[in-house]
Amino acid sequence: MIKIGLITDNYHLEKKSIQFLKYANTISDVSIYLEEDYMIDFSNYNFDEDIFFVKAKGDLVLNLVKLIEKETTIPVINSSRSISLAFNRFLNSIVLRKAGIQVPNFSLNPVGQSPPFNEYIIKNIIDKENYAFNPQIQKKEGYLRVVDIRAIDESSGNYPKYTHFYFQDFIKSKWEYKVYLIGDDIFYFKQLPVLINPDKMKSRIKIEKIPELTEIAYNATEAMGLKLSSMDFLKSKDGKFFLTDINSSPNFNYIKNGPKIIGDYLIKQAKI
Amino acid sequence: MNIGILSKKKGKLIREIRKCLENNGHRVKIFTLNDLFVNEMLLNKDFYILKSKNLLYLYAGYFLEANMIPVIPNTNTSYVHKDRVESYFSMKNLGLLCPKIFMGTLKTLKSQLKESSFPLISKPIFGSGSKGVKVYNSFQDFNTPTENYLYLENFIKGTHYLAYFIENEICICEKRPLSNEHQATELIKSDKEIEKYLIKWKEKYNLLFGHLDLVRETKTNKLYVVDAGTFPEFSNWKCDTDPALKISDLILNKYHEVRK
Repeated sequence: MIKIGLITDNYHLEKKSIQFLKYANTISDVSIYLEEDYMIDFSNYNFDEDIFFVKAKGDLVLNLVKLIEKETTIPVINSSRSISLAFNRFLNSIVLRKAGIQVPNFSLNPVGQSPPFNEYIIKNIIDKENYAFNPQIQKKEGYLRVVDIRAIDESSGNYPKYTHFYFQDFIKSKWEYKVYLIGDDIFYFKQLPVLINPDKMKSRIKIEKIPELTEIAYNATEAMGLKLSSMDFLKSKDGKFFLTDINSSPNFNYIKNGPKIIGDYLIKQAKI
Repeated sequence: MNIGILSKKKGKLIREIRKCLENNGHRVKIFTLNDLFVNEMLLNKDFYILKSKNLLYLYAGYFLEANMIPVIPNTNTSYVHKDRVESYFSMKNLGLLCPKIFMGTLKTLKSQLKESSFPLISKPIFGSGSKGVKVYNSFQDFNTPTENYLYLENFIKGTHYLAYFIENEICICEKRPLSNEHQATELIKSDKEIEKYLIKWKEKYNLLFGHLDLVRETKTNKLYVVDAGTFPEFSNWKCDTDPALKISDLILNKYHEVRK
């Protein structure tokens, strides 16, 4: 029987992985590496798993993944590089743009300094914690300015992580397009933008394949090295899709049979 | 040429490098954190010197390189030196001896470490030098509650060295354990093994200059690398060469080589 190592944390284990584990336990032998309980000894890398599945993005998780990648040939989905890039909005904007993907204009400015565009969202640079987008919306001189409270948290307090804000040019869009990618399979949804309706699931509907999004999704995940991902897109007035967010650890419970699709995919990718 | 220097502080070395470059007819701007805007505005320089490894400077470096503006030293090399786990793997792959490393919560470290692992030293996972380090001699020293994950290394008891290189010139000093780069050191004549380590490290990353912190263990006489840096202050450089002048020349030559 194939052995899957699930590298996760308490939050993802309890809130996001129950359905996956239920299915995975029927087709494989699953061992769990829990961030809160695991000590990494970098001289010990005798793992007997055939594949690792990473469902978290904490520091210990990422370094455990690095150890497995550097010292073994066991496949890990997703890789440490791709996870690190996905939660760093600034770095993934650079990588995606370099790969020819359309992302909104962005700028890193010292706190208190305005960006070179009129309408913007200030987002947290590192999107790693398990709490959601928390916007403060303002209209100044007729322009829309949105601040995610998580960005304020990141650059305030006694030990601010950053002295700068990440600004993203605001793209007006009727719908937000959500694309899930599992290997070569893509699933398409649309929903009202979170700024209009914070309950994203309420307006979410499954939609037919959009060839333009398919191409962007493949190119974006290839540039980032992601095998599993979800991506958010906004469509501008002139019909261009902008990739505004890319995630390495999406909730696949939102897809019909998501946990089964993931489990089957991991079995196919396992070390032979 | 228009040259940008990405540096958190306008310290002595950076001021002198700027002077050398300006004396050669170049226009130089130092970007401290207050005037660092990472967007298209940065793209009006011919190249940048990456002095600080603060995250925002690494971000600026990646941004510039993605836009075909050379950054010296190379951004990813600076990142590898700054991230202790990346640095550990890099040294290990080169065959350089490093202390054993561990990572976990206070709770897991207390329950899973062996008594024989002590003494240990905790360090910020993303950092260099002696800032934020603490020595643990036994389990009793794990007495400060923290939610964070601790990165620990075996603390090697022995003679500590600060070893610099600028191109082919090497300067090795003995230093007090856990002292920073600026504290007093004593020049030693030579140590062939340290020199070998420096050359291997320099060649692996094609470095123009840099430093390694090393410890020769008293009990075994084995040589361990405990830290690496791409752009030290050279405050303990004891050779005749002027570091600022030499570094400026090396950087200009590197820029011309990259442009070709």
